[in-house]
Order: sequence, then structure tokens, then C-alpha cells
Amino acid sequence: MADLGALFLQGSAVLGFIAVSAMYLVWLERKVSAVIQNRMGPMIVGWHGSLQTVADVVKLLLKENIVPTGVDKLAWWLAPFFVMVPPVMAFLCIPFGQKLIVNDLNVGILYIASVTSVCVLGIFMAGWGSNNKYSLLGGMRSAAQIISYEVPLLLSITLVVMHTGTLSMQGIVAAQAHGWFILKPGLALAFLVYLISATAEVNRVPFDIPEAESELGAGYHTEYTGMKFAIFFLSEYTNVFIVSSVAATLFLGGWQGPFLPPLVWFLLKVYGIIFFLMWVRWTLPRVRMDQMMAFAWKFLTPLALLNILVSGWALVK
Amino acid sequence: MFQKIKFFYLSIISILIGMRVTLKNMFVPRITLNYPIKKQSMKKKHRGMVDLIPPDCVICYQCIKICPVAALDLAHKQEVAADGKKVKEITKFTFNGELCCFCGLCEEICPTDAIYLSQMYEVSVFSHEDVLNIDLMDPKKYAHIDSAYSTPEKKPNKN
Amino acid sequence: MDSVDSKKENDLRSEELIVNLGPQHPSTHGVLYLEIHLDGETVVKCIPHIGYLHRSCEKIAENRTFIQFMPFTDRLDYLASMNNNLGYALTVEKLLGLAVPDRAQYIRTIIAELNRVASHLIGIGTFAQDLGAYATPMFYCFSDREKIIDLFDELCGDRLTYNYMRIGGVSSDLPPGADKVIKDFIKYERKKMKEYTELLTYNAIFLARTKKVGILPKELAINYSVTGPNLRASGVKWDIRKDEPYLLYDKFQFDVPVGIIGDSFDRYKIKFDEINESFKIIEQAIGGLPEGNPVAKVNKVFRAAPGAEAYLRTENPRGELGFYIVSDGTAKPYRNKIRSPSFSNLAVIPEIVKGVNVSDLICILGSIDIVMGEIDR
Repeated sequence: MADLGALFLQGSAVLGFIAVSAMYLVWLERKVSAVIQNRMGPMIVGWHGSLQTVADVVKLLLKENIVPTGVDKLAWWLAPFFVMVPPVMAFLCIPFGQKLIVNDLNVGILYIASVTSVCVLGIFMAGWGSNNKYSLLGGMRSAAQIISYEVPLLLSITLVVMHTGTLSMQGIVAAQAHGWFILKPGLALAFLVYLISATAEVNRVPFDIPEAESELGAGYHTEYTGMKFAIFFLSEYTNVFIVSSVAATLFLGGWQGPFLPPLVWFLLKVYGIIFFLMWVRWTLPRVRMDQMMAFAWKFLTPLALLNILVSGWALVK
Repeated sequence: MFQKIKFFYLSIISILIGMRVTLKNMFVPRITLNYPIKKQSMKKKHRGMVDLIPPDCVICYQCIKICPVAALDLAHKQEVAADGKKVKEITKFTFNGELCCFCGLCEEICPTDAIYLSQMYEVSVFSHEDVLNIDLMDPKKYAHIDSAYSTPEKKPNKN
Repeated sequence: MDSVDSKKENDLRSEELIVNLGPQHPSTHGVLYLEIHLDGETVVKCIPHIGYLHRSCEKIAENRTFIQFMPFTDRLDYLASMNNNLGYALTVEKLLGLAVPDRAQYIRTIIAELNRVASHLIGIGTFAQDLGAYATPMFYCFSDREKIIDLFDELCGDRLTYNYMRIGGVSSDLPPGADKVIKDFIKYERKKMKEYTELLTYNAIFLARTKKVGILPKELAINYSVTGPNLRASGVKWDIRKDEPYLLYDKFQFDVPVGIIGDSFDRYKIKFDEINESFKIIEQAIGGLPEGNPVAKVNKVFRAAPGAEAYLRTENPRGELGFYIVSDGTAKPYRNKIRSPSFSNLAVIPEIVKGVNVSDLICILGSIDIVMGEIDR
């Protein structure tokens, strides 16, 4: 009974954190873009517009629920769930602090990688189910992109697992007690490969072809209005958080740090990587579809494999 | 393969150079204002809505003739006063805010600077009729529009 | 078994997908409707449909006097309003045989070149946005252009549709202190152009997107009468300011930048070079500004001889803008034909987009830099 109560408390804490953090990330994105573009961003609702996302979500809740004719009922209605639920499930294994983890599975990183791959199903269902050529094009592009970039992502994670010998998240953090993994040469290259693949995984610029606004309207989520669109929108930012926290845990030492409490260190590192991703977003143009696939298969994957070969040989020696 | 790695390295350097530009711009002061809390003041010659000083008008009809879109409409009546002089008086002088293209030709050609373009640019009204037939003789014609320039001063002589 | 399977494969036709890059779209500059036939993601055929912004400009000109038509020329290529005004004023002056004071000619040159800079800044910014650099270069370019627009606001009172040039001169003199403002702006902008080259021109992703995309061969460009930066990017050294000088362009020293192969990168790079050349012209013009009164009288009714006609072409930021005016002896012209550069530039697009991706189509459309107000008139 006490177990159930503790589980319920942990679950609601995590869900509450996810909701607040997704809203906060939307505000952060708008402010970072405003700061880069010499303007001010949201200023009116709350201090410097911090409650702007709350206002936006309330507006989206009150919008009319339009179902276009000819949609594939099952695919279209279920797509938002397939996009929102996997990142939330991945929060099971993210180590926020020494004891602040919901369940330290001993296959933690494998669990996270496999669960986040389910998102591509949701995107493709959204693209196919809407009776719309633009959405179909967006959905197909996205499926190709995410599947291609899974390979370098997993190869760079494999290198970390080779160094630590364990798949559990707390174990990986503990193995960095003597030095963060980013300071080792082979792992620094793996960090770069991971960051590039992660940007492609969450459909952010420079790899945001699926929702290329200036080409196709809005891509795979064109036909969604109201709360369903809000689910897509917030799930993208939750995905960004997951990917950044995996990067922080695997390469930057997780929650370890000298003076401040572990939770603060963890959040600092995660938001540092998120700020870097946003900075990249507002600077670079978009990569074309065939160039992106060529980059993934002809360059990143051989590079990651070469990295594993050389670092593995150095480990075994 | 070596060529590709060199190309990759150069690409990363070029991307980082570009990101340095955006980083520098993060610390430049903001160039936008928080409208409507703060507003920019308009230049003296700015061409906004048309306004009239009725006593100065000599009813020469030059502005009506030159308006390219026929937005102005004027009618007058002529009377003979007690001492035998002919006196002209404006009966109707309306301005169609929807047709006006804010070119400033009427202001330029008026010989007495009676008609001029004020600096009022915030012309949002709730119904279409409020801008269709604006009576230029009415001193309170723009009082219902919430703008800093709705009671404008006379602009200086042209040039 | 094999023969049956291969026969089935020959019977399988993949259909062409017809996509409407409809009148309302974030990256067609204005209301342009492109009907694209796609095979997978490759463009097979592209048919532009225009006319969504048609306002009967040329018919209206037959019922307005020469002075009254000036505000209508503003709204043709609304991003380079001063150049339109200039072209129309010069054509009417040629028709009537009017002389223009010297100071007015110098001021016209300075203002036209400033407007060329502003228009090219918009072209660069919106091109970068079409490629996916979400609005950051566009905001920088627009905030630079804001300084030019502020100067124009002080000069004539409006920020986009100026109605500044008059037949026989300009409508008002430069405000006091204008030459210092312009010189400061030129110094500031030269520094900023270095930033733009760092942000965009050297960027690996930008180069990969624009190099060798949308190559416009020389002969095709000449056959379709493409003019302006697009023609010069393809390697043809033709600039009306040098080859048929109007205004005072034969007095100033400036180069005509020419591209190499005519891909989208050349069309983008040439705008930078043209901005630098415009700065040179402006500096020379400010240095030699004579005294005098540039203002033209406005309350004269202009009449030309019946049957007189005049055609004059000027170098708009987008190409060659021509006005052909025929008079019938009254105060209003008999016919006013406008030759707009974007119309011919758009006509070459269905030729060069055959066989490219949808993303490349957007890139080519952005680099050719059309304005719908000119095309539809």
C-alpha cells in the first residue's frame, strides 16, 4: 500500500514537472529567438511574458474541434497519443539526482532509446491519416529522416556503454566520477555525432524538413487544431528535454558537481544544452532532403563506426 | 575519406563563425518598442489622415481636381451679402478614408494650406461607416479614434 | 515467373502528384499561384498562374493626368517605389521636352540608389528565410533598411509609397543634415555587410543549398529577356546605367558586377556587390551636390503634341523598367504601357525548375526575387 502511494506521488511529480517544463521551454524558445533577433518577445502576460504559454494553451483548449472529411479515423485520432506518450514514458529512467529517479532499470539507456523510436509511428500516422498531400509529404519525409538518424545516435550511445560496461543510467553517471566523458577524445567526437543526430531526431532546424514551414505550410500536423495541435507542439519540446537530458547524463556527468545540490546541476546542464540547440535553430538554414540522407548514411554512420573501432581498440589494449 | 573529414571540419568552423554573429547580436540593445505601452513619435511630415482648417479654405476646388482617387467631395453655396459682395460658403466637405491613398497631392496644391495631412496613423474603428464619409468641417471628427494625433496641430508650411 | 513479374512492373504507373503552391503561401513573394506536377519529389512541370493582384493600372492611366498618375506608379514595385517614380517622371519629361534643375537630378540619383540598397536588403533577407534560416537574417536586414526608411519619412512623409518625384524635379528638398545621416548609414552598413557574409555566405549549409541550383544559361536568359541582377549573374555584362545612361550616371565611376555561372548563389552574391556599387555612387553624388531649388511646380497642366510618344527604360533593382506613353493632345495620355522586369523574370522559371526538388524550387523562386505588384499591375 505504501509502495502504491509512493509510486503515485512519484508519477504525479514527474507528470507535473513535464507539464511545467514543456510550457517553460516554449517561453524560453520565444525569448531566445527574440534576443537573437534584436526584439523583445512576449512581454505582456506575466513577468516578461512568462505566462504566455498558459494563455496559449487556454486559447487552444477553447478552439473548435475540426475533423476534416475523409480522414482515416483510427490513424488520425490516435496519432497525437503515439507522439506524446513515448517521451513521457522515457522520463522513467532520467536521473535527476542521486536518489531522484523513478526506477533505475538496469537496461536504462536501451529502454529510453527504444521508447523514443515509437514517435516516428505517430508522425507517420498523422501524415497519412490527414487527407492532405502536404501532410503526406511531411510524414514520409519525417519517417525517412528519423529512421536514418537512429543509427548514428545508437552508435554514439554504444561507445559510452563500451566505456562504462553498464546500461543503467545511474551506473553511467557513477562512472564519470573521475572526469566527465566529454573530456576524453573519442567520446568528444561521439558527443558531436550524438548532438547532430539528436537534432535530427526531434525535427529541429537544420533538420526540420518535415515541418518546413516555408515550403509546405505546416507539414504533418497541418490538419490538427485545438488541443491536438497543442499535444504535438508540447510533445516536441518534451522530446527536446529528453534528448538533452540523455546528453547531459551520458557525456556531461549527470547530476555531479561541486557545491550546488545535484538537482540544480542537472537542470543547469540540461538547459545549457537546450539553449545551445535553440541558438543553432535561429542561426542556420535548413538542409535539403537528399543532402540530409546522404549526410546520415554516407558520413555520420561511417564516422561513428570508425570512432567505435579506434576507441574500442584503445580500450582493449 | 580524408577529404570528407576536412570538409566536415571546415563546415563546423563556418557554422561556428555564423553562430558567433548571432551571439554578438544577443547583446545589442533592443530595436523594437513594446507597443502599445510605448509608441514612436511620428516625423513632422508624416502623411496620415486628412484634416481641414475651415476658415482658411477659399473654395478653389483644386484639391478635388487633383485627387487621383476622388476621395474628396465639396459643395458650396453662393449668397449676396448685405453690402452687395458675393460670399461663398461650404455646405459639404467630406472625405472618404477608404479610398484615400495618402499621396499628399491635395496638401501640396492647396494655395492657403487649409487642407493638410495630419500625423494620425492609428485609425482603427469598429464599423466601416466611421471612415466612409468623414465630415471635414466637424472639429470633433476624429475624437472617437484613440490616437495621440487625433487633435493635431497645424503642420508648418510646405518646404 | 520472372517474366510475369517484370510485366506487372511495366504495368505499374506511378501517377504525377499535382500540388498547388497556392496564392496564399509563405514563400511565394506575393499572391503567385504555381501549379506543380511532381513525380515523387521531383518537379516535372511548373505552370504559374498570375493575375491575383491585377488592379487595371494601365487603364486607370488613361483617365488621369500626368501628375495624378504618380501615386499609382508607387504601387507597381512597392519595394522600390522611388525607382518607379523616377522612371515615370523621366519618360514624361522626355515626352514633353522639359528641363530639370541640376540639384534635382543629383537628389534623384541619391534617392534612387538608396532605394536600390533597401530593395536588395529585402531580397537577401527573404531569400534566407525561404531557405529555412527562420527570420534571423530577415530581421537584421529589415532593421538596417529601417534607417533608410526613416530618412525617406523625413524627406517626403511616407515609408513605402513615396510619391516623391514630380515632373520637372522632386517634391521637396533634402532635409538639413541629410548628407551626414546618409554618410553615417553607409559607414554602418558596410560593417553590417561583413556580418551578413559571415552569417550566410560562408555557411556550409547555405552553400550546399544554393550552389549549382537553378542554373540559368546565358542564351536562355537573353531569349526570355531576363534583365537586372538575374541577367548579370548569368555572365552578361549589361546595365542600362552604363549602356544607355539616363540621369547623371555617365558622370559617376562605378563597376558592373557580373556572376560566373548563374546559379542561385551568384544571384544572391551579386546583390551584395550591387549594394557596394550603390554606396560608391551615393558618395560621389553627395560630394558634388550643387545649390539651387529642386522643387518642381505642380499646378501646370501638361499637354503634349497629339501623336507624340516616348519610351524610356531605367534600371530598377529587379531589372529593366520601361514606360511607353502615347499622347493624344489632351491632358491625359492615350496609352501608358508599363514594361515590368519581374514579368519576364518569372517567365523563365518554368524552364529552369525542371527536374529539381520542391526545396530547390523554393530556393530558385526566392533568388529570382519577383514582386507581384509589378507582374499583375
